[in-house]
Amino acid sequence: MELFTPDFGLIFWMFIAFGILFLVLWKFAWPMILKTVDARADLIDKGVEYAQDAKEQLDNARRQAEEYLNEARRQQADMLRDADKMKTQIIEQARSAAKEEAAKVMDNAKLQIRQQQKEAEQQFRDRVSEFAVAIAGKIVGQQIKEDDAQNRLVDQLIDRMEKTN
Amino acid sequence: MTGLFRLLTTLLTAAMVFVTANAAPAAAPDATADPVEEEATKVDPKEIIFEHLGDGYGWEVPFDHHHRIPLPVIVWGHDGLHCFSSAHLDHGATYTDGNSTFVIAGVDSPHKGKVVEIVDGREERPFDISITKNVAALFICILIVGGVMLWLASYYRRRHLRAPRKGLGAVEACVTFVYDGVIRPTLGPESKRFAPYLLTVFFFILVMNLMGLIVIFPGGANLTGNIAVTLVLSVCTFLVTNLFANKHYWKEIFWPDVPIWLKFPIPIMQVIEVFGIFTKPAALTVRLFANMMGGHMIVITLTLLIFIFTAVSPAAGGASTVVSLAFSIFMLLIDVLVSFIQAYVFTMLSTLFIALAQEKEHGKEAHQVQADLKEELAAGPLTAETKVIDNK
Repeated sequence: MELFTPDFGLIFWMFIAFGILFLVLWKFAWPMILKTVDARADLIDKGVEYAQDAKEQLDNARRQAEEYLNEARRQQADMLRDADKMKTQIIEQARSAAKEEAAKVMDNAKLQIRQQQKEAEQQFRDRVSEFAVAIAGKIVGQQIKEDDAQNRLVDQLIDRMEKTN
Repeated sequence: MTGLFRLLTTLLTAAMVFVTANAAPAAAPDATADPVEEEATKVDPKEIIFEHLGDGYGWEVPFDHHHRIPLPVIVWGHDGLHCFSSAHLDHGATYTDGNSTFVIAGVDSPHKGKVVEIVDGREERPFDISITKNVAALFICILIVGGVMLWLASYYRRRHLRAPRKGLGAVEACVTFVYDGVIRPTLGPESKRFAPYLLTVFFFILVMNLMGLIVIFPGGANLTGNIAVTLVLSVCTFLVTNLFANKHYWKEIFWPDVPIWLKFPIPIMQVIEVFGIFTKPAALTVRLFANMMGGHMIVITLTLLIFIFTAVSPAAGGASTVVSLAFSIFMLLIDVLVSFIQAYVFTMLSTLFIALAQEKEHGKEAHQVQADLKEELAAGPLTAETKVIDNK
């Protein structure tokens, strides 16, 4: 079979041609091609890495901003609540202060009233003893000398009357 | 597949009906044709197939069986070097150059189809390094591969790190497909050293395969389906594998890690391993050769079916035209795929053989690679078989 017997001429030319092709490409083509392909693959890898990093950083920043925002919102709410509390406290304080003041005024008034009552009572008692002595003098027909002993007696009598009442 | 088959059956039936209706009356005068003319036009399928698969001193021109593109014949005869155009030898003519007479040997000669020198009335085969059709096609492929790769390199030189588009982009995709897909994972740190050889082999085989599928002038030579071409390629792989092999590789061959009785006193393992050194390139040679030649042969046979059936009856010939054409196109498309696959497989196996000779430690990976390799080798002949089955 002629197909299975290699022809010398073709082997000869094949060796030469393939050898030349290999040497030319080995010298002038493959180093450049492989270098560029590798370099570009590295560049792409680096680019991807960079993009991932950037995305991560962006995500981080976004998360941080959100945190800050939440913090601020919380602080705002706290402040509002504090202010509210302070307001009610102040009102409460004012109210209690006013109440105290009013109580004081009332107490003073009561004290004064009691004082005046006492004075009035004293005056009334003095008048009553005067009248009693006058009445008794007239009954006895002579002027009873107005002295301390008589006054004391009248007072005792009035006290006794008060007690029995 | 079934859809295609159904389509083909429909086409066949339609063609049958059409052709029998038209050709039946026309067939009648054919029967009275001159028997001598019939003899002259009789088709010899074997001759045609081997002529197409084989080499030639001229290159066929489409639609013209009398003229061929002349190519230089270079022979070393009895009285030195002779170089002349193959046009002088067309149609069995003898040519006398100086004192020597040359002729292309006839059908009955042992040197059938080759240039022989006539010395004292006997045919003698001179030392023949003619630029035959295959050699010319080889040069064309070399120019294409070299040109494209130098073009790609110059593109990179001009436009540093910019990705090429369109055609060059496709070439680059093939480069990275082989380099990143086969060479780097297999050879690892050694890939820079061997990548130039392996990539050259890949693109050279790919271009030769594809050029073989183009039926007219710049293509049409059955290069990778010629055992001389595949032999040279696998000898190159053999040389690269063994010349750059490390100590471990040779130790594995002459003193492998097996029980002592397997290697001493009778060197069973050594014989097997040394045999293995040579079977690997032999398998490479035959795989590429058989696959590509098979593809060409199937397409030619399918085409020839038209003429064989026409010789039986014109109606059958007409019908088989449609079927043969459809199947030929289908086979040619498969051959485009096979062209790529075979180039890829040759490169991959070469890479594996080289990688096995670069193995440093006899680790687990080595076993894995070897197992993969054996699987691949076992699958090799199977792919050829499935291809034939596909055709049936």
